[in-house]
Amino acid sequence: MSLSLNDLVAFSIAVCAILMVGSTHLRLNIFLFSLQTMLLVYLSTLYAHHHAEEHLYLIALALFALKAVGVPVFLLRIIRQVHVQRDAGTLLSAPIAMHTALAFLAVSYMLARQLPVPPSAGLGWPGATAAISLVCTGLLLMLTRRIALSQIIGFLVMENGIYLFGLTQTRGMPMLVEMGVMLDVLVGVMISGLLAFRIQKSFEHIDVSMLVDSKE
Amino acid sequence: MVNQLYITAFYVLFALLAPPVTLGTICKVKARLQNRIGAPLWQPIFDILKLLRKDETLSKTASWVFRFAAAINCSLAIYLVVSVPWLQPKPEWGGIDLFTFVYLLAAMRLFTLLAAMDTGSAFGAFAASREATLSFLVEPASVLSLASLGIVSNSPQLNIIFGFHNMHAFHPGLWAISGTALLLASIVELSRMPIDDPTTHLELTMVHEAMLLEASGRNLLLFEYANTLKLTVLFGLSAQCYLHLIPLPVDSRWEVYAIGSVVMLLVVAVTVAVFEALAVRLHWTKAPDFIAYAITLAVIGSILALGAGGI
Amino acid sequence: MHPLLIVVLAPVSVLVLSLLIPSTRLLSRIAPVLFFVQLAAMAFSLFPVLAGQEKVFCLLPELCVDRLGALFSLLTQVVVAAATTHAVVFFEQDDAHNLQNTRSVRIFYACSSLLLLAMTAVYFCDNLGFIWIALETTTLCSASLVYYHGTKHSLEAAWKYLIICSVGIAFALFGTVLIFASSQYGATPKGSLNLSELSAHAEYLRYPLLRLGFLFCLLGYGTKAGIFPLHGWVPDAYSAAPAPASAMLSGGLLNCSLFAIWRLCELVRASGHDSFVQHGTLTIGVTTVIAASIFLVHQHGIKRLFAYSSIENVGLMIIAIGLGSGHLFFLLAFNLSVAKVALFLTVGNIVQSTGTKAIADIHGLLAKNPQWALVLLAGSLAVSGAPPFGVFLAEWGLLVHITQFHHWLVVAGLVIGLTISFLAVMFHVGKIVCGTCRPGDISFYPWRSVLVPAGLMVVSLIAGVSGLSQLF
Repeated sequence: MSLSLNDLVAFSIAVCAILMVGSTHLRLNIFLFSLQTMLLVYLSTLYAHHHAEEHLYLIALALFALKAVGVPVFLLRIIRQVHVQRDAGTLLSAPIAMHTALAFLAVSYMLARQLPVPPSAGLGWPGATAAISLVCTGLLLMLTRRIALSQIIGFLVMENGIYLFGLTQTRGMPMLVEMGVMLDVLVGVMISGLLAFRIQKSFEHIDVSMLVDSKE
Repeated sequence: MVNQLYITAFYVLFALLAPPVTLGTICKVKARLQNRIGAPLWQPIFDILKLLRKDETLSKTASWVFRFAAAINCSLAIYLVVSVPWLQPKPEWGGIDLFTFVYLLAAMRLFTLLAAMDTGSAFGAFAASREATLSFLVEPASVLSLASLGIVSNSPQLNIIFGFHNMHAFHPGLWAISGTALLLASIVELSRMPIDDPTTHLELTMVHEAMLLEASGRNLLLFEYANTLKLTVLFGLSAQCYLHLIPLPVDSRWEVYAIGSVVMLLVVAVTVAVFEALAVRLHWTKAPDFIAYAITLAVIGSILALGAGGI
Repeated sequence: MHPLLIVVLAPVSVLVLSLLIPSTRLLSRIAPVLFFVQLAAMAFSLFPVLAGQEKVFCLLPELCVDRLGALFSLLTQVVVAAATTHAVVFFEQDDAHNLQNTRSVRIFYACSSLLLLAMTAVYFCDNLGFIWIALETTTLCSASLVYYHGTKHSLEAAWKYLIICSVGIAFALFGTVLIFASSQYGATPKGSLNLSELSAHAEYLRYPLLRLGFLFCLLGYGTKAGIFPLHGWVPDAYSAAPAPASAMLSGGLLNCSLFAIWRLCELVRASGHDSFVQHGTLTIGVTTVIAASIFLVHQHGIKRLFAYSSIENVGLMIIAIGLGSGHLFFLLAFNLSVAKVALFLTVGNIVQSTGTKAIADIHGLLAKNPQWALVLLAGSLAVSGAPPFGVFLAEWGLLVHITQFHHWLVVAGLVIGLTISFLAVMFHVGKIVCGTCRPGDISFYPWRSVLVPAGLMVVSLIAGVSGLSQLF
């Protein structure tokens, strides 16, 4: 049994996310995130071509411009202003977090096998495996990292996973909804970035585990 | 029949030439990147021949194990070169399976360790402990990457896995992932950058060179030659993995495979050299992080092989 | 006049004015007037739907609201209008002590108007995707509101709020995608997110995907509402936000997320899986109520106290949603929102006058400010569910409704939880109200500052005593 090009690209996206967990270097994380989003754009164009859905081309274009290029540039600017390079002292050390992400990949494979086959042509479970594993990896990034910027990146990875799930299991959600989702996510990232910048100014670091002020 | 003659001749010639030339290529490319001219490509051959003429100085506390281990190490390396398909096309000699391959590597390591500790020097023993640690940390990566390829090919025999005669489906993703995992694992096994700098002069940080500190003359010749052969075999296997990414038609002429293998080996050597020139030596406590990458890729490869039957 | 303008005109004008007008006094006086005008206009246009003469009222083809949605949108409008009316006094007090930053006040009004627009959109949207977008927009607007003071404490609260709610909302998006996937097997081969379409063809929805989608949406929107394991952001956010913002959050935003859960429960019930919905929501509701009441026993901050009380109210409302009773759901929501807005506004007064949020430092309120003390007492009685306020009738109705389904454990758990929370809240409030009065407190505008909260408590009293609840 051999899988198609679509499934190959979907798995590469999942592999990028797993490699992201293994490194605490913030620039490398942002680069891997950008790579992952570009693969997602490529996959969207493949699906758009295969199913002849015009709106997927537009969504892919918006995804490329905003999420693959715009958000990484914004985050790199914040990194430069905040002067952090590495995420020191994560809750799980990088190798163990990577192996946990691998365990999640196996779990998502088992979950994806339970889902019904989508009516569009092709196997449904490779895309679903990759999507669920992306969501779990994003959650792992958000929960185990201390730096505020890593949590933002984890959230963005989760959004990528949810979009990938919609892409592979359905033919992509209606265009207005997808655009609205992307816009909301972007505004959320901008607000979080600004807050992260303020956290640096208030606390001399952006280590969110040190934010235990309100105990009253 | 005539084909087999040509193939055997090509293979023997290349098996004699490739090890020193690969090492020489790596050193040359690294030198050029560091803005030096660097030694010529044939320098390792001259170094080996030089060692033949040198006298030997043996430690007073060394025993027969020292000589014995060096000789066994070199024989095992030669056996690996002959039986592992690090270069296609391979003549129809017997092959080994992947578990024997890993055990042979471990056996080579055992004898090197014995030789290092036999001389009673502190540097040797320290390096031996580091080498042992690295090897058991990285073993899952080499075994799993080869095993995932074996699952897809339905056989543990390396000749069948890497051979071009079978009607396998085309699995570019799996070959790429396993190849990268194998390459990273080889870098750790051979103790090259970023695990350890082969050109360093600081004995306390050495992993491989410190084990050879006490060897000189013909002993050193045996060790160095064995190391070169091991390097060629391991990088050759990774090159073969990348060669399988190209959708060559099955059962084409042997020259196609020959040229492909040579080119791929060159590509891998240059990549390793560039990586070595750019990478920074990792602190010893950070070495497991690098190894974790190799293990992760190998595990992903095995999940793909088990779950998907390849991708 | 196009019906869309009724909903959009007032918030957009407040937004534009907040960007243009430099004077905060003028802005804070214009905004409530505009919101009350919008309230009147909305009540007028929605009257046919409320009276039962028409099924739905449509702004645009995809933006339709039914009776329950109309009731909730009016309630939200009332909450925002009341909060912004009181905000006049709040900002005047800040101004008098030179604690005010003009930019922050303008951002406050801009975000409040966007928040109102987004909250109204949740009730008017017929499409699951648009509901998601509207709720995410409310998260973003209210985060800016929480960060109003700009201190370390509010920064931490805003960050926690943003992150936890974004994760929750992402889960809800995943659930929405799953429900969309479940809809492409039957009558709508391209899949649909439109709720009326989905309910009409509900039996074609693939059950495993629908069930998974419902669970994720419940978790996601429940995070936004504040159910038990994911309630971490509620005390910090309510405590750090300024009083009018806390009132809007607890009185308006809570209902939005619960309304989204209500819509989903309706959908799953239409596809014939009643028991699954009931089990899930009842478990979550009872756990939330009991957990919140246990947390209420040991509280040190006055705003955190009422935040946990809010969490308990969420548990009650989720049980009402799970049992499928829209009447009880709205009754609880109306009475609780009214009481909570009054409470948070009064608490805001207290915090402004004493300068501290710790219960241990506030006492003697009855002696110093009898009006505030009376409203505080009335509000806490109402929120804990004591007669004669409307909340008592609503909670009693809920308990009766549960016994009809023979869920005895749920009834026992609820009774225990409500008792514990009543005792805890009254104990803490008693400490505040009684005792000798503090020398250093500022007392200001005793009648103006209590106008809005007292008005709301009177409404709650009327709802409890008269038969007003039968109207809903």
